[in-house]
Amino acid sequence: MDNDQDLLLISVFTFFTITLWITFELLKTVKTTTVSRTTQQIVVPLNPKIDIDTLTVITNKKVY
Amino acid sequence: MAYNYKTELGRYRKYYQSLEPLIKKTSSRAYTSVIFTFLAISLFGWYAVLPTIQTILYLKREIADNTIISKQMEDKIAALIDAQAYYQQVEPVLPDVDQALPANPDAIPFIVQLRNLASVSGVLLSSVQPSSVPLLGQNAHNTPPTNSPLVSSKQQTFDVSIAVQGPFANVSSYLNGILNMRRAVTIDGLTLTPIRTSETGTPSANLTQDMLQLALRLKTYYLVE
Repeated sequence: MDNDQDLLLISVFTFFTITLWITFELLKTVKTTTVSRTTQQIVVPLNPKIDIDTLTVITNKKVY
Repeated sequence: MAYNYKTELGRYRKYYQSLEPLIKKTSSRAYTSVIFTFLAISLFGWYAVLPTIQTILYLKREIADNTIISKQMEDKIAALIDAQAYYQQVEPVLPDVDQALPANPDAIPFIVQLRNLASVSGVLLSSVQPSSVPLLGQNAHNTPPTNSPLVSSKQQTFDVSIAVQGPFANVSSYLNGILNMRRAVTIDGLTLTPIRTSETGTPSANLTQDMLQLALRLKTYYLVE
């Protein structure tokens, strides 16, 4: 009887360990991005606005 | 020697016959079925369920990521089209920007500008002392960056110390001229001292014609590509 209970405990702990392992593996899969670093660098937002006022100030300055 | 199943069966009979009392016990049967159930679930969970669900979640995540990337790409393409339009708009002004922040030190044109400004302002340029300036070529790009927090790593500077002499109005005009110069320049230090009449040799000069000496420490900028 004791032998059966020990085996049952081992199998239950094995079951819980593997369940937790599967859970964390799935969480890792969900959280990890699939976008490559190169693509991330490519899609960095670009601000197309050019500071016209500063260019005007530069143009209005003199060259001696 | 030929295989005789009757004798071989007799040899192993004691092993499978010893399992019979265990199988007949109800509690042992229950324990065995529960243990094997847990082990089977664990085994199939690890080798079958995990890869399947992992693939499903990975594909769903990939679809979501690609949707976001597609949106960001469209935004970036629109931004690039806008940037192209802005660039065409400011393209005629770009040489002026190059004059303000040249791609190499351009120390001599800068000093020539200071000299021309002195002529225009009516002051006497008594001394010009540039610091060590990297000349054109590779050395110009190897200058260690300055410690100023306002200067980025691609921006380099060099110092020029100048001294001019002249009446207050002319010195003031010269100073304003430096501030209005297109070349990017900052004034790090300024010293204004009157020159005694005995030194200028104009004892009859009145107060407005008193000569002043302006010593400036200028810092000018250039851009390392």
